[in-house]
Amino acid sequence: MYLLLISLLFISEPDSTYKHVDVNEVVVSGARHNGQKRSLKGVAASIDEHLAELNHVSLIRRGSYAMEPVVNNMQDERVSTTIDGMKIFYACTDKMDPVTSYVESSNLQSISLSSGLDGNPQATGNIGGSIDLRLRKVGFNAIKPFQLGSIVSFESNGAVRMVEADVALSQDRFYTNFGASFRKADNYSAGGNDEVQFSQFQKYNIFANVGGKFANGDRLEATVIYDKATDVGYPALNMDVAKAEAIITSLSYRRTFENSFFLTNETKAYYNRIVHIMDDSHRPDVPIRMDMPGKSWTAGLYNLLNGQGDYNQLQINYDVYYNLRHADMTMYADNSDWQMYMLTWPDVSTLCTGIAASDDVSLGNGQSLRFSGKGAWQQQHIGSYDGFQLLNVFFPHMKRTYHQTELRIAARYGIKSGPWQFNIGGGWGSRAPSITEGYSYYLNNTFDNYDYIGNPRLSNEKAFEANASATFSSGRLRLAVDANIFRFSDYIIGHVEDRLSAMTIGANGVKVYGNIDHATIANSQFSSALQLSNFISWNANVSYGLGRDDNNDNLPLIAPLQYRSSVNFTKGGLDVVVNAEGALKQYDSGAKYGEKGSNAYIVFGANLTYTKLFSKVNTTFRIGLENALDKFYSTYSDWNGLPHKGRNVYFSVNLTL
Amino acid sequence: MNLFKRLFLMLSASLSLLSCNDNDDVVDQFGQEILITDDVDCCSADEARQVYEFIRKVKEIPSLTQDIDNKYRLRFFTPTGTLHTGYNDIYVVVTKIISANYVKDIEISNFTPLMTMASGKVHSTSTSKTIDKFDNGILAVRHGWISFVMNSSDNGSWDLDFDIRILKSTQHLTLPISVDALPEGQKWITSFKVGEQSYHISLVNPAEWKVGSNNVSAYITSVGTDMKKPYVVTDKSFTVDITPSMPDMDYHSSPEGEPLTADANGIYKGVVNFTMTGLWRLHLTVKDNAGNIVAGGDENDHGFSTLSLEVSL
Repeated sequence: MYLLLISLLFISEPDSTYKHVDVNEVVVSGARHNGQKRSLKGVAASIDEHLAELNHVSLIRRGSYAMEPVVNNMQDERVSTTIDGMKIFYACTDKMDPVTSYVESSNLQSISLSSGLDGNPQATGNIGGSIDLRLRKVGFNAIKPFQLGSIVSFESNGAVRMVEADVALSQDRFYTNFGASFRKADNYSAGGNDEVQFSQFQKYNIFANVGGKFANGDRLEATVIYDKATDVGYPALNMDVAKAEAIITSLSYRRTFENSFFLTNETKAYYNRIVHIMDDSHRPDVPIRMDMPGKSWTAGLYNLLNGQGDYNQLQINYDVYYNLRHADMTMYADNSDWQMYMLTWPDVSTLCTGIAASDDVSLGNGQSLRFSGKGAWQQQHIGSYDGFQLLNVFFPHMKRTYHQTELRIAARYGIKSGPWQFNIGGGWGSRAPSITEGYSYYLNNTFDNYDYIGNPRLSNEKAFEANASATFSSGRLRLAVDANIFRFSDYIIGHVEDRLSAMTIGANGVKVYGNIDHATIANSQFSSALQLSNFISWNANVSYGLGRDDNNDNLPLIAPLQYRSSVNFTKGGLDVVVNAEGALKQYDSGAKYGEKGSNAYIVFGANLTYTKLFSKVNTTFRIGLENALDKFYSTYSDWNGLPHKGRNVYFSVNLTL
Repeated sequence: MNLFKRLFLMLSASLSLLSCNDNDDVVDQFGQEILITDDVDCCSADEARQVYEFIRKVKEIPSLTQDIDNKYRLRFFTPTGTLHTGYNDIYVVVTKIISANYVKDIEISNFTPLMTMASGKVHSTSTSKTIDKFDNGILAVRHGWISFVMNSSDNGSWDLDFDIRILKSTQHLTLPISVDALPEGQKWITSFKVGEQSYHISLVNPAEWKVGSNNVSAYITSVGTDMKKPYVVTDKSFTVDITPSMPDMDYHSSPEGEPLTADANGIYKGVVNFTMTGLWRLHLTVKDNAGNIVAGGDENDHGFSTLSLEVSL
C-alpha cells in the first residue's frame, strides 16, 4: 500500500494549488507529510476515526456508526461538507446520516478542514468551517502502472471486521482505480463488559475512478461511488436504520494552460442521491411503531480556475447546485385501523449559485496575506402543497418560495520570524437556515426530548470571526497556540412554544426555531511536540471551548477541556505509540437546552505499526489497544450519555503489490 | 319549426371518460338520452346540461328511485350513493320518463326521516328545515341534509317520509332507507343537553377534511318535544371550542383552531387544524352567548372535554 501511496504523492500532479497556511488535514490513504495527521489505525480506520484526528473537530456519537462531525463546536448547520468539491446533503431528519457516512476510507486520499469562514471554494454557509473529503485517484503516470492493494482488519470489541481490495492502472494517457470494501460490526461492549444493544452495523462500498488525458494535456475524469449500510443500530436513539444508501457520481474536465498566469480550469458536473430508511422493528418496546424514510438528491456543477503568479495564488470558483429533500413518517398505533402519516420535510428544494474567490499573497520577509470570499444566492421552495399547508397553520401568510443571499469574507495575515510564526485573521459571514431549521415538522430531538418545528420566517444567521495563532518551532521543540471567537447575531436555535402540543409520545413539548439576538462561541487549543531523541517524540494537545447565548447561558454541545498526549517511538519500519486522552468534567453544560453534562475521564491506548517489503509485497501490520483499562465513560458529545467502547484490541494487515 | 332538438350527450360522455367515468348512467339508468323539447315544465338544453353536470358528480341511491304516475321519475343522490350515520347531503331531481329531462317545478315538504325502534318507539333525527333550491340556480335540483343519529340495524329501521308536489299534483311518500354505520374512528354527530333541552351537533362532510388547516362547518339542532318531528337547526346561538387530540399519539393536540360560531344562516363555522393523518378526537366545549360553559368543558383523564366527536383522516 505504501508504494501506491508514495506513487500517489509524488507522481500524480497536485490536484489543486490550494495553499494551506495551517495544514489541518488527515491523510486517509497516502504518505503523511508536513503536519498532516493520520489515524493510528491507518486506512483501516473508519471515516469517523479519521475525522477525529483533525484539530477543531469532534464527533457526536449516536452509535458506533455515522458520527456527526462538529467543527469549532458547531454542528452540521454551520459546517459545509463536500466530497471533492461536490455538495451532498444528508437524508435523515434525525441526523443519523451525516454525509461523511456515505464514503469509505478506501475512497479517500485525505480529509481537509478549513476552520471558520475561510472555507473551500464550494462551501456555503460554513460559519464553523468546511470539510472536504478528497477522493483517492491513482492519477496518470504512477511509478507502477499496475497496483493491487488489500486490507484485512479485525477489532475484538464488537468483532469489527473489515476487508478491502483495490486495483489501480496508471498510464500516460489513462488511469483507473477501483475497489470494494465491506465492514461489519456486532454490538460493542462498554467498559466493564457491558454490552451496548443495537450498536451493530454493516456497510459495503464500491468505487471507481477513471481518467483520460488528451494530447494537449486536458483531462477528463469520472468517479462513481456506491455505498450502502444496512442493519445499523443507534443505541442512543429509539430507532435503527434498515438502509442508508448513496450513489455519488461526477464527471470533470480540466484544462491546463501553459505560459499563462492561469494554470488550470476544472469544470465538474455531479449528481448524488441518498435514500435513508429508518427501522424500529428490532426494538422490543417502542411507544408506537413507525416508518421514517428520507431522500435527498443533489445535482450540481462547479468551475474552478486556478492561477499562480510570482507572489500570489488565485482561485476563482463558480458553482451551482440543486438539492431536493423529502422525509415523512407513518405511525402505526396498536388497536387502531388508522395510520398516521406526517410530512416532516415537505419536498424542499434548494437552488443555490455562488461565486467564490481566494488569493494567497506572499509579501516577502516571511509575511503573507490571504483573502477569501463568496457570495451565493439561493431559492428554497416547498414542493409539497400539503406540507406548505401544514406549516401555514403556524405561519399564516408564509410564502412557498424564499430567497436568501449568503455572503462570507475572510482575511488572514501571517508573519514568520525566526522560530516564530504568527497568524491573525478575521471574517464575516452569513448563512441561510437549514431545511430542518426552516421547514421541518415535528422532528423529535432526543437530546432535549422536544419536537422541533421549522420556521420559514427565520433571518439569516450572521457571525464575525476573529482568530489568531502563534507557533514556536526550534530544533526539537514545537509549541503552538491558537484561538478563535465567533460572535453571532440572529443565532438560530429552538425556542419552547408552550401553545403547541408534542407529537412524539413522551416528549417534553415543542420547540420552534427562532433567531436570538446574539451568541458567542470561542475555541482555543494548545499543542506541543518534543523530539526527545532520534527515535522518541512526545506530543500533547489541550483544547477548550465556550458557548454562550444572548442571556449568557451556556449553549449545548460545547466541548469541555479536553487533552491528548502520546509518546512515539519510531525506528525503521517500526512505529510504537502509547497514548492517553481525556477530558475534564463539563462544567459549562447547556442545562437550559437540555444538556446533562459529562464527567471527567481518561483512557489509555497503544499502537504498534510495522512496515516491511516481503518480496515485492509491501506489508503493514498494525496492532493496537484502545481503552486499555476498560473504563466505562462517555464524553460530552455522546448522545444521551451513550457509553464509549470498553477495552478493544485491533489488528490489521495492508498488502500492496 | 324543428320541434325536437336532440341533446346527444355523446360530448358529455366523452368528457366524462376523461374525468370521472363512474357515473355515466346518471343520464338515465336505462341509458335513455335526454330529449330537449319546448316542454316548459322541463329544462332547456343549457339548464339540462347544468343539471347533468351536477349530478354526474354525485351518486344515485338506486333503491329510492320511484316512478310516480308512470310519468315522472323521482331520484335521490348523495356524494357516496349511500346514507350513513352523521351528516349526509341529499340531492333530489325529478325527470319526465318520456324525455328523461328534468322537471323544474317540484316541491318537497314535510321531509322527515323516521326511525322505528324495535321497541316500537318512533323518533326522527337532525334534518335541514327545507329541501330547496340551492347554489346558483341549478333549477331542477333540490338539496337538503339529514344527520342520522344511528344506523339501521335490528334495533330499528329508517324511513323517509315526505310530500312531493310535481307541477300541480302532490303525493305523500314513505320510502324505506338503509343507513350504514360509519367505520371505527368516525363519529360525526353527538348530543348534549343544556338544562332540559337536548341538542345534536353534526359535522358537515368531515370526509372532505385534510391534513393542514380546515374551514369546518357544523349544524346544531334541537330535539323537539315531539320526537317524531325533524330536529331542525336551533335559533339559540352558542360558541363551540374544538380541541383536537390524537388518542393513538398520547393525546397530541393540534394548534391554532378557531371556535365554531353561527353565521346568519345558522351554520356554525370554525377552523380545525390537523398535523397528520390518523384518528383525531374533537373535544367540544359549548358556551352560551355570555361565554358560560353550558355543555362539555369537563376534563377527562387527559385534560380534555368528554363531549367529543371523532374524525379519521
